[in-house]
Amino acid sequence: MEYEAIIGLETHIQLNTETKIFCNCKADSWGEPPNTNICPVCTGQPGVLPVLNKAVAEKAVLLATAMHAEVQRVSYFDRKNYFYPDLPKGYQITQFDRPIAIGGYLDLPMPEGYTRRVHIIKLHIEEDAGKTKHANGYRLIDFNRCGVPLIEMVTGPDLRSADEAAQYLIRLRQLVRWLGISEGNMEKAHIRCDANVSIRPKGADYLNPKTEIKNVNSIDAVREAIATEIQRQIREVEAGGKIEPWTLEWDEDAGVLRKMRSKETEADYRYFREPDLLPLVMDEEWKARILADFPELPLERRARFMAQYGLPEYDADILTTERALSDYYEAALQAYNGDPKRVSNWVINEVLRLLNERGLSADQLKVTPQYLAMIIRLVDKGTVNTSTGKALVVKVEDTGKPPKKIVEEEGLAQVSDTGALRQICEKIVAANPKEVEKYRSGKTSLIGWFVGQVMRETRGKANPKEVQKILRELLG
Amino acid sequence: MMELLRMEAHEIAAAVRAGKLSARDVLEATLERIASVDGIPGTIGGDPGAEPDKIHAFITLTAERARAQADAVDAKIAAGEDPGPLAGVPFTVKDIFVVEGTPSTAGSRILANYIGPYTATPVERMEAAGGVMLGKVNLDEFTFGSSNESSAFKPTPRNPWDTSRVPGGSSGGSAAAVAAGEGWLSLGTDTAGSIRQPAAFCGVVGLKPTYGRVSRYGLIAFGSSLDTPGPVARSVRDAALMLQVIAGRDPHDATSAAVPVPDYLAALEKDVRGLRVGLSPDYFRIVRAEGGELVEEPLPAEIKQAVLDTAERLANMGVEIVEDVPMPHNRYGIPAYFVIARVEAASNLHRYDGVKYGYRTPDRVADMREMYRKSRGQGFGLQPKLRILMGMYVSAAQYSERYYQRALQVRTLIRRDFEAVFDPEGKYRLDALLTPTTPTAAFPMGAVYGDSVLMQYADQLTVAANHAGVPGISVPVALNSEGLPLGVQLLGRDFDEATLLRLARAVEDAAAFTAKV
Repeated sequence: MEYEAIIGLETHIQLNTETKIFCNCKADSWGEPPNTNICPVCTGQPGVLPVLNKAVAEKAVLLATAMHAEVQRVSYFDRKNYFYPDLPKGYQITQFDRPIAIGGYLDLPMPEGYTRRVHIIKLHIEEDAGKTKHANGYRLIDFNRCGVPLIEMVTGPDLRSADEAAQYLIRLRQLVRWLGISEGNMEKAHIRCDANVSIRPKGADYLNPKTEIKNVNSIDAVREAIATEIQRQIREVEAGGKIEPWTLEWDEDAGVLRKMRSKETEADYRYFREPDLLPLVMDEEWKARILADFPELPLERRARFMAQYGLPEYDADILTTERALSDYYEAALQAYNGDPKRVSNWVINEVLRLLNERGLSADQLKVTPQYLAMIIRLVDKGTVNTSTGKALVVKVEDTGKPPKKIVEEEGLAQVSDTGALRQICEKIVAANPKEVEKYRSGKTSLIGWFVGQVMRETRGKANPKEVQKILRELLG
Repeated sequence: MMELLRMEAHEIAAAVRAGKLSARDVLEATLERIASVDGIPGTIGGDPGAEPDKIHAFITLTAERARAQADAVDAKIAAGEDPGPLAGVPFTVKDIFVVEGTPSTAGSRILANYIGPYTATPVERMEAAGGVMLGKVNLDEFTFGSSNESSAFKPTPRNPWDTSRVPGGSSGGSAAAVAAGEGWLSLGTDTAGSIRQPAAFCGVVGLKPTYGRVSRYGLIAFGSSLDTPGPVARSVRDAALMLQVIAGRDPHDATSAAVPVPDYLAALEKDVRGLRVGLSPDYFRIVRAEGGELVEEPLPAEIKQAVLDTAERLANMGVEIVEDVPMPHNRYGIPAYFVIARVEAASNLHRYDGVKYGYRTPDRVADMREMYRKSRGQGFGLQPKLRILMGMYVSAAQYSERYYQRALQVRTLIRRDFEAVFDPEGKYRLDALLTPTTPTAAFPMGAVYGDSVLMQYADQLTVAANHAGVPGISVPVALNSEGLPLGVQLLGRDFDEATLLRLARAVEDAAAFTAKV
């Protein structure tokens, strides 16, 4: 029998606010010693009260809008009560039945060419708990992460394969970075994902019991864990077994799923309204202020690049991975005012390499889009050759000087003066009688070697076409 | 010395600000008074019957801290600076407020070793206004009670009018201390009547402000949607002086209101002529659930009489008395409170788990669950345990609709009772309701404690104001046949403490009640 997988994802997105959700402690404690960014509020001292960081609501509205979700005019905070040592108040402040946004969807363009629409059920704001570590028979607790703001987003059971799940996370990560609401680094747990997985005969319209996979910390791991679980469920069903609603944990090193617990009884968290916080009222004025500079979204921009500039899907996809890069591309194209594909090639090959090597984002470059356009123009006009042009990208980045100035200062302009070139070519031919003989006896491929010698002599400035022409004449 | 002690707080502050009295002298006189009347402070494992003729208001006396503060006030005067409106006024703080560097116990074994890492906003404001904190006074454990007998710190406070009787609660230490001349003011909290009831029992003034008027930051939470910090004082003017200092928006408390704080002392000067004050039959009877039946009982005659006498005196001053004002949902105040306060309390008490601070069991434990169970089992007294059990039960998924959601609906109905009678366009157009504060005068120690349901009916006349969020004040007006003080209560509109204080001042003037000190 043929099966299809039914997958829903629950993601927690760590927001990149300066301070925590309910106090003034620094939110990002990556790499810092335990219990250094804490205060009476986030460690749950007696008598303290939470005060909402408005930036959290604002970032949630940005994400909700990007997901086409309905932002609620009034939402509420609730207490989720449970005991755990790294939950200092003994309850988590979250949103339960009246979250900040409801509904929405994300359209995933799949590499195979089809589009998968993933529905969003709800999107809510909550605080993170701390971290527990076991060492030498002790539980060690780090409260730094307590009160770090999270958005939890739950999808419908709309994904049909491990690849689709991975694609969702890739697009979500791209989106949160694009919106500037999260660093979106899965290795740093900025996006955490739990996956609900079930299978059914292809084309069936009912849902079977599902399992929940927790603790998957990278997109590859999500893909692998889900694929593994789908295979396990198929084997189980084929063997006449039944799928139990287990909670599973992905062991990345071993590449296996382990059963954490059976899920027969749901814990009762005794949710009730958080009396220490007022309802969150998102009035039209506030919402309008938040959305005033709402950007074109990555998938929209990707489609526009293809339609407006005639770029191949591959180029459009790469250019829109990061907002800064796509802004860079468009600015360079505008300054260049020519073939969009030619600018795309330079950005994808030269600029992207530079960004990767130096760990920069496009808006931090000293090779501004305008400088890049100038460099391409210099190459187009034959003022410099292509390899000098590529070297110029790095030189401008290193010095911050305009490309033309570097060309002048370093004498990089291409030598096309045939008199001067001829002199150099004659010198090279005279100095290498053996190679001349070989060439003349038929090994004409040596022309490349002769050109190379001339290029070396001119420190790369010679116009290679002109050189080849003269050499053929001299050797002919 | 007695002459100094009989001065009012505003007079002390005026004298200190004028350089006629030193804050240090006021403090030393107060400390002497405490030494002579208070007896041993409450301690864990203390003898409940020790020194039965003493007051035992304190858990922690912070004399050295107070001396440093008094000296700082005097230094400011010497330097020509103004220390503020509470200059040199000694005050006590109910030990439900966290104060930096002092034990902040909530009257519980589970926090007996907890030293505050920060200072509650109202305390900070009083100190910034030149007030001198004497220390922390006793209370019912986590404020769960109406007699102070549930405190883990023994002996518990006694009523200065008759030390065989309770001072009321949960702000019993506050009321007892103020009544006995151990400081002029005390910062209390009121969740169902915990300021007003002990104030009535001890013959002092107790004000529960509007919810949101005074910051709760640093108040160890019981019922977060009901808890209200407020003044206990010997006179209405002193209560107004203190409210002036502690009221107003606090960025640390999202539920504190941004409503402007009026000049309460100026309001006291205004005439009460023309104000409309209501009397409600629903406040002259007690309705209790007994074996599933609602039992209705009239109030003791002398308590009703004290209210009627007060109404007559107000009428003589030109106040319009409106009779037969219906407050039909008042009778459901206690059952609804039973549910709401317990749900919030159970959640608020989650954090006391032996992990981060406070009591942790010394026993060997097999795992973390056992550590939780033993720490909480040994650290909490009976009252917190009862509230946790009931709170967990009624907020469980399968019962929440039946109890908690229903209680919230009742709360809305109670709120509507007040909105209807205070509506300026409505039938009654009241400025305040006049009611008894308590159904009885102070009861003997041991008489009610142990029946936690009956104990809560001590709050039947006060709890509605907490449900509705409106302000209430208790003013002593008379002594009963046993020589015990009786209080009347005025309930007012949201954030209209000014009118309430103005009426309370008139009630106080006309009653000519003589303080214990």
